[in-house]
Amino acid sequence: MKTRSFLQFVGPSVAMMVLLLAIPMVTTFYLSVRNCALEMEVVKVEESTPFGNKETITQRAKLGPDGRALEKCEYVGLDYYRKVLGLDTPSAAAMATEPPDGAGQPARAGESADNEFLGALKFTMIYTFTTLPFVLLIGFLLALGVNNVTDRLKGMFITASLLPFIITPVVAALSIKWLFRDNGLVPYLLSNFGIEVFWMAQAWSARLLIIVYGIWHVVPFAFIVLYAGLQSVPQDALEAATIDGATRWQKLRYVTVPHLMPLIVFITLIHLMDAYRVFEPVIVLTQGAFTTSVQYLTYHILLLENNPYKASAAAVLTLAGIVVLLIPLLVRTWREQKGGV
Amino acid sequence: MVGKRSLSMSFLVYGGLLFWLVIASLPVVWTAIISFRQYVDAFSSPIKWVAPFTIENYTRLWIDKEFYRNFLNTALVTVFTVTISLTVGCLAGYALSRYRGAMGFWLLMVALVFRAIPHSSLLPSFFTIFDALGIRNTYFTLIFVLVAINQPFTIWMLRSFFVNIPNELDEAAQVDGCTRFQAFRRVIIPVMWPGVVTTGLFSFLLAYNDFLLSSALTSGDKMTMPAAIANAITAETEAFLMQGVAGAVSITIPLIILVIVFQKQIVGGLTQGAVKG
Repeated sequence: MKTRSFLQFVGPSVAMMVLLLAIPMVTTFYLSVRNCALEMEVVKVEESTPFGNKETITQRAKLGPDGRALEKCEYVGLDYYRKVLGLDTPSAAAMATEPPDGAGQPARAGESADNEFLGALKFTMIYTFTTLPFVLLIGFLLALGVNNVTDRLKGMFITASLLPFIITPVVAALSIKWLFRDNGLVPYLLSNFGIEVFWMAQAWSARLLIIVYGIWHVVPFAFIVLYAGLQSVPQDALEAATIDGATRWQKLRYVTVPHLMPLIVFITLIHLMDAYRVFEPVIVLTQGAFTTSVQYLTYHILLLENNPYKASAAAVLTLAGIVVLLIPLLVRTWREQKGGV
Repeated sequence: MVGKRSLSMSFLVYGGLLFWLVIASLPVVWTAIISFRQYVDAFSSPIKWVAPFTIENYTRLWIDKEFYRNFLNTALVTVFTVTISLTVGCLAGYALSRYRGAMGFWLLMVALVFRAIPHSSLLPSFFTIFDALGIRNTYFTLIFVLVAINQPFTIWMLRSFFVNIPNELDEAAQVDGCTRFQAFRRVIIPVMWPGVVTTGLFSFLLAYNDFLLSSALTSGDKMTMPAAIANAITAETEAFLMQGVAGAVSITIPLIILVIVFQKQIVGGLTQGAVKG
């Protein structure tokens, strides 16, 4: 294919991605070093009361000629990054120098607890790396199990187990919330064993639920990919191993698993990418009270704190994180594409 | 080999699979059961296994709360998102499968990075840009945002299908006097249908299941179903909560039908990427 017709064919797709993905990313970076605030003006208000005129001085937003409130925008450098990362802002630091050193310390300790981004990143990482082994293990066991089942059951089983994977995430998270809610099914079943937990009321249990959701949601994907991989395990190698007296476990360990290794790597990489974006279970199961994920943090700052500039700083840090995570995947794809083409 | 061991083994296998099926379907099944109950029967201590049947939650949601509007919004947004994604994606996927230059490779790498973008990172600039243009709460904006978000995945997947169609087919068509585009439209696309259907399914799932962007970019009478159900996240009043339950089931039913009808294509699509890397 000639370069000219290549460009014509990919044109619309590239235009969309540039307009709605690349440009917004650059804009995010631009927004993150700025701040806009309403311009205020001091006004004297004269009130006529039965007891004479009264003058008060108040502030109000300055209005432009078109009747809209005027905004003053300025470059603020890395201020919002410092805020999101819980570091002192220059103005706060300037204020802190006024009292003697001793008084400055506690304030700083209090602020480091406010390190929103690292807190969110920490839980995102905990989520990613606790769900991953379970996803791989359960997916692998299911694939092995289904491989030993009659054909008619296979189809039914695959259809049924696709459900957690394709269901709308926000609906799935809500369903799990209702299942674990006070007076819900699971607390009732657990209370028969003397376990009483208010799942959504404590940090550890809310986090556990998010992780349970994550495993439940991704296992079908791992299962189906590994099941497809099992269909191509070399039968002659398995037979040769049997003749050589290998046990079932040895065949699994030395023939099947090495054959599936590329798929295990593939699932791991996709899961790293998707787990980094965990959002729905966090907003549904905790409403951000105990635990935040990086993606939820930006959303929260933008829609609840209503601060697009600070949200942009969080977004830029989030994007920096995904780039670091992506390096192994990019290197792997690079090698394959270079080798394949 | 056929003996006690294999019997206990198959018991273990069937037991394990059955256990997973229960876990996989429990949240959905239980939500469906309680959606036909009054609040007092849906959440009670001890749990009621059998309770009076009512469709009140559904009538309240669909008729009083006009959930059919949200349903129609979702239908509109997903239909257009899938159609545009596939049209634009097929052109790009085809070109990427036929072009041998370095630019194609770089485009694929950039698309891979774009696929990983956390969607909320785009929201601050979406808000700023769309507000400035005055196009924030429109179907048009949401559709194009979803198409763009979908593109990286779509072109990767379509490309992997196009690669399997032999180049000789294009050449034959071109020898017969077709232009590049005619060859693509009249010869390649008809053979590509299975790939287009599979990719379309995944585009559909992405648009239909999206919550983050839909809830942030639409409001009022433009809300899609997942955005509308967001009320249920914080709702603790009984009526609201039960409508949320009914809404959750309403959103899930089309997906269940989809899986039953298109099981083969979905499984094929999931393994496609895996086999190709």
